[in-house]
Amino acid sequence: MRWTACELHSHTFHSDGRQSLLELAEGAKSLGFECVALTDHNTMTGLENKERVESDTGMTIISGMEWTTFYGHMVTIGLTAFVDWRPAGPGDIDAGIARVHAAGGIAGMAHPFRIGSPMCTGCFWEFEISDWNALDYIEVWSGTFPSIKTDNARAFRLWTEKLNEGYRIAATSGRDWHAQDRTEEPVSVTYLLLDDSKDGVTERAVRALAAGRAAVTMGPLVTLELRSETGVFGIGACVPAQDRSTGYEAVATIDFGAREGKWAFPDAGYTLALTSNLGVIGEADASEEQTEYGFDIPGDGLLWVRAELKGTVRGVRTTIAFTNAIYADSDQA
Amino acid sequence: MKRLVLDAEGLVQPVCSKTHIAYSFHLAKPGGKLWIDFAYEPKNLEDRERSRELIAAGVEKYTEPAQRELVMDRWESFLPLKNLITVSVDDPARHRGAGHRHDPEQLLQLGEEEASPGFVSGELIEGLWRVTLSLHAIVTDDCRYRLRIHHEEA
Ligand SMILES: [Zn+2]
Ligand SMILES: [Zn+2]
Repeated sequence: MRWTACELHSHTFHSDGRQSLLELAEGAKSLGFECVALTDHNTMTGLENKERVESDTGMTIISGMEWTTFYGHMVTIGLTAFVDWRPAGPGDIDAGIARVHAAGGIAGMAHPFRIGSPMCTGCFWEFEISDWNALDYIEVWSGTFPSIKTDNARAFRLWTEKLNEGYRIAATSGRDWHAQDRTEEPVSVTYLLLDDSKDGVTERAVRALAAGRAAVTMGPLVTLELRSETGVFGIGACVPAQDRSTGYEAVATIDFGAREGKWAFPDAGYTLALTSNLGVIGEADASEEQTEYGFDIPGDGLLWVRAELKGTVRGVRTTIAFTNAIYADSDQA
Repeated sequence: MKRLVLDAEGLVQPVCSKTHIAYSFHLAKPGGKLWIDFAYEPKNLEDRERSRELIAAGVEKYTEPAQRELVMDRWESFLPLKNLITVSVDDPARHRGAGHRHDPEQLLQLGEEEASPGFVSGELIEGLWRVTLSLHAIVTDDCRYRLRIHHEEA
């Protein structure tokens, strides 16, 4: 299994972007990404020369499309055929997600709390979702330096609420990248843990995100494991009911060498926290000198747990990285 | 030879925001190229007072109470409010793409070898085609559009 640096939300001039696929791939490569999902608005023609761009740059391009509807923007990736967004009214997104799944793709809410009409029709998510488990992911961090933006904080809260309600939904970042403009702001990466099968990177990346094997960061890569007498559970995994324990050893790992040279947070004063449905259940100071951080955490009543790395960036105390959740089946199962 | 296959004009109002208008037309002969000439105007809402009201309503609806004052302090950053109509095309058998972009004047082409960005090239087949105008936002009291489609026969 290998963690792969992905940008999951981007556009070209085939919709309203101001870049070609080649420019996008080159720009992503220079920032240390290995993989980009192209999610143009309501079209997939930007992928026409995907194979050539992949062989020219060594990058993987995941096919996708951003459903740019009147009631919400939904990023869809992993499918190769167009799935029609136009029939989706406010109550039709469950059917829309089902059609995306039937076409081999997965679906995520894009920037759910960006201000909507008339400034940006559909930018705010207004679709009614009746089955939250059908939704594969929520883009909780949108844009550059995403952790300090209030819309993103609201999306992050929505994600946490849904986890508390028992749903298993992944969380990602996406730059919503439209042009090769230089930015001095921190750029966020969604790392996906790819399996070792012989399938292509696209299939494995989509499978990883569908399984919640994702970690999001503006800098170091933070990962998490739960260890019990019966086994080891990674990000996205679920401790089965019969293997539940009254306590676990949680081990967070911080790779400060991830995308080396592409980011720097001097004097960050890192702190690591384990957050769960039971609140914060572990905390420690962190630094470049130490890679592994162990915590004894309670197992009773635990539904999910994730790691969050905080620190000072550009003078602001903020979240720098977070993992997706590890889940536990409820005792009553 | 370019044959005119559709020539339409229309007037839409803010209540038409979030609606689609579809035109169906028959392509009698296969092959060749389709030219879609689409324009709408005005693009921007120039009335500052009206813009401020619409922005305030959007801020009220879409932001949390604690944020509203801060967002309204920079309400002018949302100017100008814009009309947005996008074009998509379906041939008798399959979807032929969309042009989700802000240009209020677009001359689009679809042909066997090439198509405008966002649109799917490939042979034009005989039968009933559909061009859909998606009205994402109409912010001006009136917005006039014109859609003219030519078939350049092979
Ligand atoms: Zn969007
Ligand atoms: Zn986008």
